[in-house]
Amino acid sequence: MGYVVAGYAFAFGGLALYALSIWWRGRRAQR
Amino acid sequence: MMKLLSQRLLGPVTLVLLALTFWLGLWVTPPDKVQGNLARLLYVHPAIAWVALYLSFGTATIASALYLWKRSRSLVMDRVAHCAVEVSLVFIILTLITGSLWGRPTWGVWWAWDARLTSTAILGVFAVGYLAIRRANDDVEQRARRSAVVAILAAINVPIIHFSVQWWKTLHQGASVFTPGGNFKVHGIMLTTLFISLAAFTLLFFWLLRARYRVEVVRDERQRVSLDEALAQRRREGVH
Repeated sequence: MGYVVAGYAFAFGGLALYALSIWWRGRRAQR
Repeated sequence: MMKLLSQRLLGPVTLVLLALTFWLGLWVTPPDKVQGNLARLLYVHPAIAWVALYLSFGTATIASALYLWKRSRSLVMDRVAHCAVEVSLVFIILTLITGSLWGRPTWGVWWAWDARLTSTAILGVFAVGYLAIRRANDDVEQRARRSAVVAILAAINVPIIHFSVQWWKTLHQGASVFTPGGNFKVHGIMLTTLFISLAAFTLLFFWLLRARYRVEVVRDERQRVSLDEALAQRRREGVH
């Protein structure tokens, strides 16, 4: 089950981080 | 109506479907008869790969072709292609990571120089190259033209990735959802979860693309305003 949890963590965590980076870049661009 | 749907509902619906995929994939679906709990990775890996290879790169290729086609040459298409390639790169990396996490306990190795894996990694290299070309060029038209050509050249790799499991003897399995006769290999709650995950990651792609596109619009606008200000400043200096 460790591989499965790691897979979900990478998939959902990675995409959440990417979404966060878009939001952060958007804020920086507006400044 | 479509605008309302995309502006108001895209985000919440995507989040609900992603949460459903997470919950169904980890808790509700039963372990597979052969693969056990590892089959749960198949609710995220194929959907992420679908977005990475077909949806994102397909969008980037169509937008690039439309840009190069003189009648529709517009920086909107260039921006769409740029954002789609960036989203695609993120999904390609996650495809390789989730595939590797499935491959280690199943095949016994994290990585194999298998046709499907290698061609997917090559597409990732193309995506990095595309983004590097965009950074290396300040001329907007030239940058758009060159990167559009790279995107179209890279897209040749997509059918190679798709058919790699048929053309070569690969460690990677062939079609997992359909039988050669077109019937489903997966049933019940497992099939439902698979479709929900496909819908969730597809909507997520459009959500990310839209958000990323907006950032580019703001950046371009800021750049244009600062250029106008610099020109006005120079003119004032010339007058005095």
